[in-house]
Amino acid sequence: MKNNKAFSLKRWLNKESSAGVVFTLPFSVGFLLFMIVPMGISLYYSFCDYDILSPPVFQGVKNYVKMFTDDPTFYKSLKVTFYFALVSVPLRLIFALLVAMILQKTTKATGFYRAAYYLPSIIGGSVAVSILWKRMFASDGIVNTLLGFIGISTSFAWLGNKHTAIWTLIILAVWQFGSSMLIFLSSLKQIPTSLYEAANVDGANKFRQFFNITLPLLTPTIFFNLVMQMINGFLAFTQCFIITQGKPMNSTLFYTVYMYQQSFEFYNTGYGAALAWVMLLIIGLMTLFLFATKKFWVYDGGF
Amino acid sequence: MKAKNRIGNIVYHVLVCGLGLVMIYPLIWMVMSSFKETNTIFTTAGSLIPEKFVLTNYTNGWKGFAKISFGTFFKNSLFISIVATIGTVISSAFVAFGFSRCKFFGKRLLFVAMLLSMMLPAQVLMIPQYLWYQKLGWVGSYLPLIVPYFFAIQGFFVYLMINFIDGIPTELDEAAKIDGCSYYSIFLRIIVPLIKPAIVTAAIFSFMWRWDDFLSALLYVNESAKYPVSLALKLFSDPGSSSDYGAMFAMASLSILPAVLIFIFFQKYLVEGISTSGLKG
Amino acid sequence: MKKKLALGMAIITALSLTACGGNSGSNGTTAAPGNTEAAEAGASAGGSNNLIVSWWGNQTRNERTQEALDLYSEQNPEVTFDGQFAEWADYWNKLATSSAGHSLPDVVQMDYKYLKQYVDNNLLVDLTPYIEDGTIDVSNVSENMLNSGKVGDGIYAISLGINAPALLYNKTLLDENGITVKDNMTMDEFMDLSREIYEKTGYKTNVAYNNGDNFIEYTVRSEGKVLFEEGKLGVDSADQLLPFFQIYEIGMNEGWHVDPSIFAERTIGSVEQEPLVYGSTPANMSWCAFYYSNQLTAMQKAAPEGMEIGMTTWPSDDPVVSNYLKPSQFFSITVDSKNPAEAAKVLDFFTNSEDCNNILLAERGVPISSLVAEAIAPKLDDMDQEVIRYINEVVTPNSSTLNPPAPDSSSEVYDLIDKLEEKLCYGEIDAAQAANELFEGGNKIMSGN
Repeated sequence: MKNNKAFSLKRWLNKESSAGVVFTLPFSVGFLLFMIVPMGISLYYSFCDYDILSPPVFQGVKNYVKMFTDDPTFYKSLKVTFYFALVSVPLRLIFALLVAMILQKTTKATGFYRAAYYLPSIIGGSVAVSILWKRMFASDGIVNTLLGFIGISTSFAWLGNKHTAIWTLIILAVWQFGSSMLIFLSSLKQIPTSLYEAANVDGANKFRQFFNITLPLLTPTIFFNLVMQMINGFLAFTQCFIITQGKPMNSTLFYTVYMYQQSFEFYNTGYGAALAWVMLLIIGLMTLFLFATKKFWVYDGGF
Repeated sequence: MKAKNRIGNIVYHVLVCGLGLVMIYPLIWMVMSSFKETNTIFTTAGSLIPEKFVLTNYTNGWKGFAKISFGTFFKNSLFISIVATIGTVISSAFVAFGFSRCKFFGKRLLFVAMLLSMMLPAQVLMIPQYLWYQKLGWVGSYLPLIVPYFFAIQGFFVYLMINFIDGIPTELDEAAKIDGCSYYSIFLRIIVPLIKPAIVTAAIFSFMWRWDDFLSALLYVNESAKYPVSLALKLFSDPGSSSDYGAMFAMASLSILPAVLIFIFFQKYLVEGISTSGLKG
Repeated sequence: MKKKLALGMAIITALSLTACGGNSGSNGTTAAPGNTEAAEAGASAGGSNNLIVSWWGNQTRNERTQEALDLYSEQNPEVTFDGQFAEWADYWNKLATSSAGHSLPDVVQMDYKYLKQYVDNNLLVDLTPYIEDGTIDVSNVSENMLNSGKVGDGIYAISLGINAPALLYNKTLLDENGITVKDNMTMDEFMDLSREIYEKTGYKTNVAYNNGDNFIEYTVRSEGKVLFEEGKLGVDSADQLLPFFQIYEIGMNEGWHVDPSIFAERTIGSVEQEPLVYGSTPANMSWCAFYYSNQLTAMQKAAPEGMEIGMTTWPSDDPVVSNYLKPSQFFSITVDSKNPAEAAKVLDFFTNSEDCNNILLAERGVPISSLVAEAIAPKLDDMDQEVIRYINEVVTPNSSTLNPPAPDSSSEVYDLIDKLEEKLCYGEIDAAQAANELFEGGNKIMSGN
C-alpha cells in the first residue's frame, strides 16, 4: 500500500502538467513571497497622498489626474526617455551583435579581447564613470581635443547644451553593450557547426551563410535581447542620475529619475508610485506589441 | 592565398585592438588616476600618466572607515555575491526548464507575472519591500540580499535560460523519455550540460549585479562592519565637505577585480557549446 | 572539459565557504556583533544599552565620531554603540525608509533642512525634559543656538557646531591684483567687485549657481521677509524675489558670471569641483564661492598649491538683517529609541565633554558650549582659528535670528528655483519672468496642489 502510494507520487511528479508546476514552483513561491505584496503596496500608494514620514492617506485617482493634466515635467521626461530608449537600444544591439560576430573567431587573443569589450559593463555606474564622462565631454575635454586633431577646433560644451547632452548618455549606454554581446556570443556558440559545414559543401559564401543560417537561428536571441534592453532602456536610471541629473533644463531628465526625485527628494512618494505604474503600463504595452510581432520574424523550432 | 590570410589577420587584430583600447580607456584612466595624488586628480584629469606615482590612495582607502578596513567590506561582498549568484543560477535554470519543456495550468499567467516583475523600477519598490522584510524580521541581516535569489526572483535570468533551452532540439528529450528518463533526470543529465554557456553567462551577470548592488545593502544592512564594497565606496565622497577621490578611485579599481577575474576564468566556457561538446542536433 | 567545469565549481564552492568562514571569523574578532547580542539580551530584560547612532560624513568624521563613541563606552562600560554612517543622499533615503517602518536609530544626525519634517511627523523626541532635569547641560550654550533646535514649543535637536554663511574667495588672486574685499558688502559693491575682477583678471563669479537654496533666503531676509510661511511663500509679490534673479541677469549680460554650461561638467556642491578652486582657465573659474564657515578647511584643502582662501560675509543690502548663525548639524533622539534617557546623556557628552571634543576637534563646526570652544581652541589649526574669529567677531555682532526651519514642500520649491535660475542663465527667460514664475509656482507648491 505504502509502496503503491510512493509509486503514484513518483508518477504524478513525472506527468508533464505536474512536472511543469514543480519546476516553476520556486518562482511561483518567490513571486508570492517577495514580489506580489510590495507591488500591491506600491499600487496602493499610487492612490494615496504619501510622504514616507507620515502614514499614507487614500485620495483616489488624484495623482493620476495631476500627472496627465498638470505636470509638464511628466511629459518632458517621457519624451526624453522615449528618445533615449528608441535610439540607444537598437544601437546597442547592433553594436553588440557586430562585436560578438567579430569576437566569435577564436585566436590566442580572443579571451583578452572579450574581456576588454566587456570591461565597460563591469565598471557600471560608479562615481568614477560619472567623473570621467563629465571630463571627457567637457569643453576642454578629450573629445574636443581629438576633434582638434582632425581639424575641428572647438570648445563646445557637449554636456551644457540641451541638444547634445542626451547624446553623451546615449553613448554611455551604447558603450556598455557587454551584456548583450555576451548573450549573443553564447548563443552563436549554440549554432551547430554541422550547418555551416553543409553550407560550405553547397558553396554558400560567408555573406549568405550569415543571412541564411546565423541570423535566422539568432532571431530568438535577438528577440530576447530586444525585449530585455527595451525594458532596461525605459527604466534607465543610472546614466542620468550620476551624470546629468536632468540638466540642462530637463533635456536629459529620465522618467525614472523624475520619479525618484518626486519620491525621495520632494517626498511626493504617492505621486512617484503613480508615475511608476504608468511606466509599467507603457512598457507592458510595448512588450505586448513586440510579442505580437514575434511570429513574423522570430525563428522557432530546433536546429 | 596564405599571404592574403595573414594580411587579413593583421587587419583584424589591429582593428579589434584599436577599438578595444577605446573601450577600456576609461578603465585605464581610473586605474591611473588612483595612482595620482588625490588633489591632482581633477586638475590633471586630461593626462593619463600621473606626475608623481603614489600608493597613498591605496593605503588610505584600505584603511576604510572607523577602524573597519576594506578587507572586511570585500569579504562581505564576496559572501553576498557568491551565495546569491549560486541561488540565482540554480533556481533560474530549474524554473526555465519548466517553462520551456512543460505544458501546465497557469503557465501563461506565470510567464506574464515574470515579465511584469521586471517592469517596475526598483526604486519604487524600496519602501514596500522594506516594510515587508521588516514584517518577516529580516531587516538588519543579509537575508533580504540573499534568500529571494534562491527563488528565481530575477525574471531576466529565467527568460535567458528559457531562450537557451528552447534552442535545444526536443528530439534529445524524447529519446531520453523512451529510455525511461524522468523530467528531472532529463534536466540534470541532458539540459544542464547543454546550457553551460547560458549558465556561465548568467553567473557572470549575476555576480556582477550583486556586487554592484548598493540599494538593498543600504536599506537592510545596519552594522557598518557588514557593509559591502558597493556601499563603502560611496562613503569616500561627502558633498559639502572634503571627499577623498584618490582613495575612492583606488578602492573602485580594486573592486572591479573580482568581476574581471571571474569573467576571465569563465569566459572560455562560453566558447564551448553544443558544437564542441560532442553532441549534434 | 567536464572536469574543468567541475573544478571551477569546486573552487567557487570553496571560495564561498571561505567567505562564510572568513565572515564569521571577522565577526568574532570585532567586538560589535558580540555586544549586539549581549545588548539584545539586555533589551529583553528591559532597557536597551546598545544605542545606534547614525550620521553622514566623510572618512574624518566617521573616524572621529566612532572614536568619541568608543570613549563614551569606555567611561560607561554598560553602554555600547553601533555607529552607522552613509553618504548624504543615501543617509536621508535610509532614514526616511526606516521611519516608515518605525525602526529609526536611537540618535540621528539631523539637518536644519529636514528638522521640521521629522518633528511634524512625530519622529523626534522633545528634549526639553532632559534639559530641565540637567541631563543635557546647556548652561554654557547661547540662547540662540539652543533655540535653533526649537520647533513649536519643544526643543528637538541639539546643535553640534556653529556655522555661518561665508563667502570664500581666492585671496591670492585678489592680493596680486591689489583688490581688497571688505566684510558686509552690499549687493552693488559685490557686483562692482565682480566686474573689476573680471576686467583685471578674467576670473568670473559664481553666485551660488544651482546651489543657492540659502542665498535666495538671504536676499529675501534683507527685505525683512522669510522665504517660507505655512502653506505659502513668505514674500508679498514677485518684486521681492526679483533682486535675486537680477544678479544672474546682470552677471550673464555683462559676462562676469560663470557660464551655466560649465556646471553641467561638474558636480555642483562638491568642494573639489567648485570653480573657485578648479578650472583650466579664468573663464571657467570663479573668484568666490558661496559656502559656510565650516567648509573653509575643506575648500583650502581642495585648492591648488599657492592659493590662499579668504573668508567674508555674503553680500546683502542689509547685512545685519540678512546674516545669521546656524547650526551646522544636530543630533536628535528618535521616538523609536528604546533608551532615550541614555541617548540624552550621549548628547550631553557631545555638547559638554572636553575629552569628546578633543577627539572631534570642531570638525562639525565650532562647539556650542563656550567653555568647550575655549578649551579646545589652542588645539585647533590656523584654519579653524580663523573660523572661530570669523564667527565671533564678524558674524555674531552683525546678525539676526535664524529663520524657522523650512516646511515640507521646500525641497520642491528649491528645485524650481534651480530650474528658473538655469533657464535665466541660458537666456530662455528674463529675471522678471523668473521672479513671476517662482512667485506663482512656489505658492502653488506650498499650498499643496
